[in-house]
Amino acid sequence: MSLDAKIPGGPLADKWDRHRFELKLVNPANKRKFEIIVVGTGLAGSSASASLAELGYNVKTFCIQDSPRRAHSIAAQGGINAAKNYPNDGDSIWRLFYDTVKGGDFRAREANVYRLAQISNTIIDHCVAQGIPFARDYGGLLANRSFGGAQVSRTFYARGQTGQQLLLGAYSALSRQIAEKKIEMYPRREMLDLVIIDGQARGIVARNLISGEIERYAADAVVICTGGYGNVFFLSTNAMASNASATFRIYKKGAYFANPCFTQIHPTCIPVHGTYQAKLTLMSESLRNDGRVWVPKNPEDKISPQQIPESERNYYLEEKYPSFGNLAPRDVASRSAKEQCDMGKGVGETGLAVYLDFADAIKRDGKEEIEKKYGNLFQMYEKITGENPYETPMMIYPAVHYTMGGLWVDYNLMSTIDGLFVLGEANFSDHGANRLGASALMQGLADGYFIIPYTIGGYLAGTNLPELSTEHLAFKEAVSAVESQIKTLLSINGKRTVDDIHRELGLIMWDYCGMSRNNNGLQEARGRVQKLRAEFWENVIVPGSDKDFNQSLERACRVADFLEFGELMIIDALDRQESCGGHFNEAYQTEENEAQRDDENFCHVSAWEYTGADNEPNFHKEPLSFENVELTQRSYK
Amino acid sequence: MSWLIQTLWSSIGKKLMMAVTGLCFCIFLVGHLAGNLTIYAGKDAFDAYAEGLHALGPLLTLIELGLLIFAIIHITTGLTLFYQNLRARPTRNKVTKRGGGRTIASATMPYTGIILLMFVVMHLINFSFVDKSETTIAQIVSQKFENPIYVLIYVAAMIIVAFHVRHGFWSAFQTLGANHPKYMTTLMALSIILGLVVGFGFGMLPLYISLFS
Amino acid sequence: MNKFISLTLRIWRQKRPNEKGQFETYPAKDISTDISILEMLDVINEQLTLEGKDPIAFDHDCREGICGMCGAVVNGHPHGSEKGTTLCQLHMRHFSDGDTIVIEPWRSRAFPIIKDLAVDRSALDRIIQAGGYISVNTGGAPDANAIPIAQEAADKAMDAAACIGCGACVAACPNASAMLFSGAKISHLALLPQGKPEAAKRAIHMLMAMDALGFGNCSNERECEVQCPKEISIVNIARMNREFLKASFFSSEK
Repeated sequence: MSLDAKIPGGPLADKWDRHRFELKLVNPANKRKFEIIVVGTGLAGSSASASLAELGYNVKTFCIQDSPRRAHSIAAQGGINAAKNYPNDGDSIWRLFYDTVKGGDFRAREANVYRLAQISNTIIDHCVAQGIPFARDYGGLLANRSFGGAQVSRTFYARGQTGQQLLLGAYSALSRQIAEKKIEMYPRREMLDLVIIDGQARGIVARNLISGEIERYAADAVVICTGGYGNVFFLSTNAMASNASATFRIYKKGAYFANPCFTQIHPTCIPVHGTYQAKLTLMSESLRNDGRVWVPKNPEDKISPQQIPESERNYYLEEKYPSFGNLAPRDVASRSAKEQCDMGKGVGETGLAVYLDFADAIKRDGKEEIEKKYGNLFQMYEKITGENPYETPMMIYPAVHYTMGGLWVDYNLMSTIDGLFVLGEANFSDHGANRLGASALMQGLADGYFIIPYTIGGYLAGTNLPELSTEHLAFKEAVSAVESQIKTLLSINGKRTVDDIHRELGLIMWDYCGMSRNNNGLQEARGRVQKLRAEFWENVIVPGSDKDFNQSLERACRVADFLEFGELMIIDALDRQESCGGHFNEAYQTEENEAQRDDENFCHVSAWEYTGADNEPNFHKEPLSFENVELTQRSYK
Repeated sequence: MSWLIQTLWSSIGKKLMMAVTGLCFCIFLVGHLAGNLTIYAGKDAFDAYAEGLHALGPLLTLIELGLLIFAIIHITTGLTLFYQNLRARPTRNKVTKRGGGRTIASATMPYTGIILLMFVVMHLINFSFVDKSETTIAQIVSQKFENPIYVLIYVAAMIIVAFHVRHGFWSAFQTLGANHPKYMTTLMALSIILGLVVGFGFGMLPLYISLFS
Repeated sequence: MNKFISLTLRIWRQKRPNEKGQFETYPAKDISTDISILEMLDVINEQLTLEGKDPIAFDHDCREGICGMCGAVVNGHPHGSEKGTTLCQLHMRHFSDGDTIVIEPWRSRAFPIIKDLAVDRSALDRIIQAGGYISVNTGGAPDANAIPIAQEAADKAMDAAACIGCGACVAACPNASAMLFSGAKISHLALLPQGKPEAAKRAIHMLMAMDALGFGNCSNERECEVQCPKEISIVNIARMNREFLKASFFSSEK
């Protein structure tokens, strides 16, 4: 079956306007009759909740943290893209669109990406009006910097805390609606199942993380903004609680999951240091504006980096990609770092690191200027590693950071289940096989502020939604399924902790389904994940009770899902017999070791349908057609 | 007027009352000290100063009344704040360490305040509400300070005043919203200087009187 | 540089909000100095789990010092004694072999304990809900460069906006006051032209909300700015005082 993305007709630049005109509207007085559930309070969730409530809908918003302000969007450092062209360097909506499609290695929908680029400017306007303290020039106008994969400066930023500031802006808008009683906020709740009645998403079942109660909530539409699945790798830059349970359980309820093998490995993270490490820390890509990446030419050189003479250094990014240099896109930069380390040129104790050097920038601009730009990042680096990056080059290594795959959605951001919308990182829509830096914030806010308010109206206005109570059989069934799973987890009482099994899963995924993949490895990994999953259900130990604040149980539920989800990723990676963006199959590479796409056979979105616990998922294809850009071999030389 | 009560009884409002009355007491202390310094010029000079002060008549009464009202505000507000602050943390930490913001002066404000209240009452009984028809104030003062215990009490009280002023003075400016990076260091220094001036200025007097008169 | 140390931990354990809690002692053996204090708690929790005991509950999420979810009083200092550091960024290299570390939750009437080291900080959300926003609906904003903002104002606003809402200022304050948290938000918005129209209303409403939630009163002890992991200055409290007094005496807001 081919999937219909419901992309409006007409020229690319007019599609969104035209679609907005064609969408049915809900009359203002009727909006208050609708209940909408929003799960997650990151950029997408907070902004969606706030804008829907502003329109008059009754919104119930859920988050797993103690406050909606803590969602992991807060950790985004570098910035947010927009095609404002304030620096007068040749940017335009078309260029942002083109860079994003190309950066995504031509595996994203043209129409979605163009809409994203169009909306980007409005986001900046709105955020400034909200009081986001973006960086400014001496004249008081907004400042921009460059990011990977672009040759123009289009990134707006608030020091190294852009995600935090944008999220706090959305959180403040959300708070305002809570005060006006248009949003009911449910913190410390974890969505554990979706309730579908007559084919429509009509509610969720959530666990109250303090009392352990399984609670039911009904609504006319459900909006999922629960982020990505990077934590399937155990070590990632995601927050500890970031998980795939909401999206994966929705997949198990019938929604299609698209491109799960597209994961982004961010090139500039602080390297792994030991077995007890719980997570990895990212250093913003913006550092590559001034930092130079290098490894020693002679791997035997174990002397300190400052002592290695210029002639003995290999600035491999600058050499390989002269026009983009250190600002090559993330997937390219990550793979190059892996390549150097695989050749034995890596530095540091583990040999799994490369240098990111600011000596030249400090010499050129002075320490003060560098401190102004990156002070907080340097400080963070020093805190974690105990080394001063003003004096010694930073050591960095790629780490899992973002997941481009997600629940399949159409142009309206609605999944294959009616009334179930998916926003932000949780959907698959805009980044193709690789996301460019500073584009995640843009997408999350575009979805939440400027797309869902229109498209949800189109759905609600044209749909018959019968009255509903949480006593409905579908709710009862969902609750009992969730309760029985929890009961099972608590009763296994085996010998391995949840984290222990999760760590093993992460290693399998990192080794075989990480930066570079091959068919044998993927096959091997699939078997090992299945075995590990079986062991989990026989040998895991989850202490405590279900009616309590039980963090081990929370993690156990999430890992149970990761153990199934990991296999789906591998299935998707095996199916996609090409290399593109974040998915690099060693069998498909150019002579220069770049990803070699197969546009003839794989220029499509792979969407997977669940068919039962031990069955192969069904494959559905959404062909991608490129009418406005030419498919080329991505080159950053 | 409910807005005024709401404002003054809010946390910042209470602090405002503390700040304004406190600053007035600082001014009073400086004035009082200036007058008392006449002691160094001899008994006659001091008596002349006292006489001059009383010659102000109703104006003096007005000032005294003002000081009394301010004292009542400062004390009741201060005690309310003290009580509310204790209530805000019903269980204390087992280990508490200073991070470097707190000073001995700031940590002891409620206690130094209560001690000063007791001192002021004693001071008024000693020197204000005494029969001055037969003696001059200078005589009363030198009589009192013949007793070394009084000297000790007064000197100790003045050290306490110094601490109270040292935190209170800059703190009042902060409460009024006057914190500016260009002036704050000066203000902090002034606060310490004022504490020292008040402490030494008043504290040396009992010693001087008991030793030299 | 990897070193291993052994420590004694004294950790506050409390099963439920109103139950009595007590300190428990745990030995922590061969702890790598490269890990953070939360990663050390992870290690202890793994051991407790395998021994069939209840692991220590503590809030944490991003583990990179920005989400504000973690926090505990370590040896008398909120987030530990390192300057400008959250708990998740406090590494074991700052401790020595044989040390005893006492870990307690934030303690304040406004932050009831949920379990062990986890506390309920929803009071901070309520302060924001009282006015910590600019009332603009989505759509209709003028061009982002329509109003220039002096770099100094934007920088100062950013200094204040860096607050992560962890509650360390409340924990550090001898009076359990939330003035630094509230002052930071009021300052951030008052410094920007976009925040000016509502400045008076915001200052009054946020302060009233803060007072009603059971926090203590500021007595300018300055412990908050010293212990704040984002090193937010009490200049912001002064600005809040100014804003509040200005609003109360010179605006028509009530």
